[in-house]
Amino acid sequence: MCGMCGLLGGGRHWSNSVAPGETAGARRQRYVQVAHANRVLAAFRLKLADFHGQSFVLSSPTGAQIIVEDFMQIWKAAETMLGRPLDPLTLFADEEEHI
Amino acid sequence: MSLAYDVIPVTIVTGFLGSGKSTLLADVLKGDAARDTAVLVNEFGEVGLDHLLIGELDAQTVLLDNGCVCCAIRGELKDALATLFSRRARGEVPAFSRVVLETTGLATPAPIVATLLGDSVVSSHYSVGAIVTVVDAVNAGQQRARHAQWLAQVTAADRIVVSKVDLVSQAALAGLERSLAELNPAASIARRTCTDDAALVLDSASNLHDFAEFVRRTGSARTDATHAANPLARLNATPAHRDELAALKAFCIEFDEPLDWPVFTLWLTMLLNRHGDNILRVKGILALAGATQPVVIHAVHHLVYPILHLDAWPGDGKHEAHRSRLVFIAQGFEGDALADSYRRLCRHLQTAEAIA
Repeated sequence: MCGMCGLLGGGRHWSNSVAPGETAGARRQRYVQVAHANRVLAAFRLKLADFHGQSFVLSSPTGAQIIVEDFMQIWKAAETMLGRPLDPLTLFADEEEHI
Repeated sequence: MSLAYDVIPVTIVTGFLGSGKSTLLADVLKGDAARDTAVLVNEFGEVGLDHLLIGELDAQTVLLDNGCVCCAIRGELKDALATLFSRRARGEVPAFSRVVLETTGLATPAPIVATLLGDSVVSSHYSVGAIVTVVDAVNAGQQRARHAQWLAQVTAADRIVVSKVDLVSQAALAGLERSLAELNPAASIARRTCTDDAALVLDSASNLHDFAEFVRRTGSARTDATHAANPLARLNATPAHRDELAALKAFCIEFDEPLDWPVFTLWLTMLLNRHGDNILRVKGILALAGATQPVVIHAVHHLVYPILHLDAWPGDGKHEAHRSRLVFIAQGFEGDALADSYRRLCRHLQTAEAIA
């Protein structure tokens, strides 16, 4: 939690875990996850940014922004912004058909 | 970093009405093994567990803002656990080192897991040790056919204990155990005997021994599955319920290549966000790129337990390649489609990274 603003985040969410003894890698892993997520979200013109290592900010091309705590909620928020489901079972399937 | 307070494992004991949960606890939690165990009973309990602490819970449910019933936080359970912890901290009760929570026979385990994982007070002080499900050997068929809770309890289990084994024939018992193994390959199955000790209830679900068993089970399940016809077809279920059962499938997906943890977290969160309602259980052991220790993952519906790292691979020394294995118990899925979707995401990310 950030002491100044009392920002609570999803710091304890399971997707933030790192291997034991690798505490320094937590922040790095978070940036890698954000970069990967942006490669997924770019297709939908959404953007994700890390927020103080505690939360994430998801923004849409129309300027809508939302603070989300963890990855489960990122996808939920993205679905709400897009108005359609993000299903990993069908995601990018059509892209590979063209190749 | 070490914590200034203890994190207490909670064993959830569930099972349908009359399956013998209280009897199991009364038999097993005796003597030294039970000395530092607190027991919470989710209904009025009059079993002779005098030396233990019995708290009584009244039903009261608080929905999380995502509104999913399986992720509802149970207010009374949260309060009971929080109060128990404060009383322990103040020294009003003996310093117990674990909690056993006996649920009512009609409870589904997901909201209880949600309470343990989702509430920030409770999740700081308690962890999920194991889910133990008691299955009534005499009435299993009927309960499975009529009550959806039965299925939820069996699929969520880490350990299944079959009770009343002396009241049914050996053949029926073997049949029951076979169908339980097909419903939930992630769980170990034991028969109730008079020599059971507290380990049956209290052992954590994520120790090395359990996972060695898990790897062995899922390894053999793969070969069995190829020549077994739909195992659920032989259940004597009512027609409407049979459709639901037939769609329910347990399968194991394997990855030979080490998994990339950041990609895996994206994929699994996305999958559980979209399909969590239909994924009753995930249990797996993962080989991660750049890590020598295996990672253990458990999930019930949308809820993923805190990730654990085992010290070593189960069955090490046999020089097998370490492969990731994930068991899913889900409705309306194909194992191949899931594995494909993970690999497709990996390829997409690699291409996108190369272009950028």
